[in-house]
Amino acid sequence: MDSLVRVVHYLNQFFGGIGGEEHANLPVETRGGAVGPGRALKQALGDQATIVATIVAGDNYFVEEEQASAQSAIQALKQYDADVVVAGPAFDAGRYGLACAQMCKLAQEQGVPAVTAMTDDNTGIITYGNDVVAIATGTTPTEMRSIMDRLAPVALKLGRGIELGPADEEGYLPRGVRKPIVRERVGAARAVDMIEARLTGQPFTSEVYVKQYDDVDPPAPISGLSGKTIALVTSGGMVPHGNPDRLGSARAEGFFRYDISGLDELTVGEWESVHGGFNTQWLNTKDPGYALPLRTVRQLESEGAIGNVYDVYFATTGNQTAVTSAQKMGREIAEELREQKVDAVLLVAT
Amino acid sequence: MMTALPIIPMAVGANRIIRGVRVEHVCGDPSLSETMDRALTRRIVETALGALQTAVDGPTLFEPAEPSEAREAVHAS
Repeated sequence: MDSLVRVVHYLNQFFGGIGGEEHANLPVETRGGAVGPGRALKQALGDQATIVATIVAGDNYFVEEEQASAQSAIQALKQYDADVVVAGPAFDAGRYGLACAQMCKLAQEQGVPAVTAMTDDNTGIITYGNDVVAIATGTTPTEMRSIMDRLAPVALKLGRGIELGPADEEGYLPRGVRKPIVRERVGAARAVDMIEARLTGQPFTSEVYVKQYDDVDPPAPISGLSGKTIALVTSGGMVPHGNPDRLGSARAEGFFRYDISGLDELTVGEWESVHGGFNTQWLNTKDPGYALPLRTVRQLESEGAIGNVYDVYFATTGNQTAVTSAQKMGREIAEELREQKVDAVLLVAT
Repeated sequence: MMTALPIIPMAVGANRIIRGVRVEHVCGDPSLSETMDRALTRRIVETALGALQTAVDGPTLFEPAEPSEAREAVHAS
């Protein structure tokens, strides 16, 4: 007979029964047994597992005091000899979702498998989606029972050390992991089947998941640019000579800011492109301005056609950039520009 | 955004797209004389500024205007 799987459940201050937002700074507490929604989880797990402990922490505390909360959480995992961690469900709560995902990562780093549950666009998934196993949920706690019914089988498998199958079979969110398998028919035959299905309007399942891009509503036009602030952004890998921040020539995951206040143009020799996806000789020997037209923008500024140029420009390398990295960079840059009341952006994309 | 490959941002969903010259030199053309090259950069940037002031419904491509005096000066010798 299999021994009982030992489950540790992670909850925030609200689901842990402490209180609401006013307790968001609650430090990590550990209680024996199941608490709150843990009871629904216990039911779903049946006699296969036991919830040995529940870790409760405030949403702010867990994500802000990373070190301290990690220490307490790891201690609890060891003390209670956890086989698996279940975190949440967090529904659409961003800080809670982030905390749940972090909890799962922590557990995994300690060799304890973990699973969580939240909406598929929760901050927790956006930030750690590829690193954790997560069940997709809606936004209302009325689904609690059905979520626990979906969490339990995954938790049991993980707790028993059984490898999970593909995301769509086991019911968790895809993490972009691909494992080689052998199929019964060769790829050419399967591809022909898919084309036939597509042409005749029959359903088919693609074997390769292609990330969809989001639709962005165009912002309203600006009426008149004199007096307005324009920021410059480039994905041409344009950086100060020597690439002091070591911007990558491919697969960049972040961007850097470079001060251009008082600078009239980017000159050859002082600036360079580290982009690894095209021949950078024109940028590096003729004119860095081809990827960041500062000279022209300054002229327009001095003529009063625009108000002023933002103090820094933003640089990344647009070579094999992951869509999620690009989205993250775009969000961060936009946040700064909005805070600094910049009116518009000229982006040279290459 | 200025790009030498407008088909990509049109497909991805960027809204105000300005056609640039080539991937290696989006905002200008090193094969032109310096004067003509800088005039070209200016037209590209001005087109971008115009796009910022234009209402669009979705991905829209703006083409920099042809230069009105695009001919290189020809010297008889």
